[in-house]
Amino acid sequence: MATSTVGLSPSPLRSLTSSPSLPPRARIAPSLPFASRLKPRLALSPLPAARRRPAGTRRPRVSAALTSLSETEPVSVPADSGELAGRFPSASGVYAVYDGAGELQFVGISRNIAASIAGHRRSVPELCCSVKVGVVDEPDRVALTQAWKSWMEEHMTATGKVPPGNESGNTTWIRQPPKKKPDLRLTPGRHMQLTVPLEELIDRLVKENKVVAFIKGSRSAPMCGFSQRVIGILESEGVDYESVDVLDEEYNYGLRETLKKYSNWPTFPQVFVDGELVGGCDILTSMYEKGELSGLSKK
Amino acid sequence: MGVTKEQVESSLTSKLKPSHLEVTDTSGGCGASFVVEIVSEQFEGKRLLERHRLVNAALEEEMKEIHALSIKKAITPEQWKQQQESVEPKSEA
Repeated sequence: MATSTVGLSPSPLRSLTSSPSLPPRARIAPSLPFASRLKPRLALSPLPAARRRPAGTRRPRVSAALTSLSETEPVSVPADSGELAGRFPSASGVYAVYDGAGELQFVGISRNIAASIAGHRRSVPELCCSVKVGVVDEPDRVALTQAWKSWMEEHMTATGKVPPGNESGNTTWIRQPPKKKPDLRLTPGRHMQLTVPLEELIDRLVKENKVVAFIKGSRSAPMCGFSQRVIGILESEGVDYESVDVLDEEYNYGLRETLKKYSNWPTFPQVFVDGELVGGCDILTSMYEKGELSGLSKK
Repeated sequence: MGVTKEQVESSLTSKLKPSHLEVTDTSGGCGASFVVEIVSEQFEGKRLLERHRLVNAALEEEMKEIHALSIKKAITPEQWKQQQESVEPKSEA
């Protein structure tokens, strides 16, 4: 899925830490001035366009549209993850997560802020009480990094501290996703002579693994909307599944045609459970909506 | 030019004798993408997968040119009646 938090290399951080603009005495100011203003807001959009700073103020390096950290209102993180989407934008930008005491824990950038916050909320709920969000309008990598730098710098200038989650080596927030399994490959490569027919390789694969999804593209980057939906459903149900990229012409050469015959099913994606075809996107969606997938093995 | 909505409808009608059928061309004209809602007695006692198989089989020829076929509903007249009653209680004709 395309919702992962963008990994931040520690290098810009280090250069910030050693920046001469950071007075060491600032370290003695641990509490944040806006802690007392942490009130839950029910505004649908946490980004009041009207508060955007006029161009040409303090930080000309950053796009004028980005509000500074201190001027951005925190938005409380709802306990119910279903409400998240209503409070946080699914847009790209920078976000700052605060704990219950109003301490800044982490500054991150994301291509989908709402999804990233949902992820943090799941993994470290105790540290996710409120979040400040700054949407970046033209979110190329440079602009996002600039936005992140500007908030980091502002926080460090104000407090002399790096947010704990941004300290190098801290993996609380940026998980190097071990959860993403690699896609399975059926053959050692298209130029290798197969000793076993492809049908049999498919047969073994679906019988040896509880849940197998044959998709177009990889599980981290599905190349078709239907495959993406199936992966999304399996991920959100926490199903422990294997995936096979039917578009991989090198390692799964001939798989599409063979699999269609094997399963007597004309389209992809195809999801197998216990060696049996369960169906494609429509069936998975319908089962998901009826709650019939909860019985599948969990991670 | 790919498959037309009429072709899809006539194949489904002749093979599955649906009591209700709704085919929507979602391809924007190129005839490669359809959404189907179908109600047929032939689905009685069959799992969803088998129902989809019936639809796919009925469209075997067309499937060669269709890129995406979304079977939104494949239900029995009995289920259809229940759904109609629960969704639109007034439209019972």
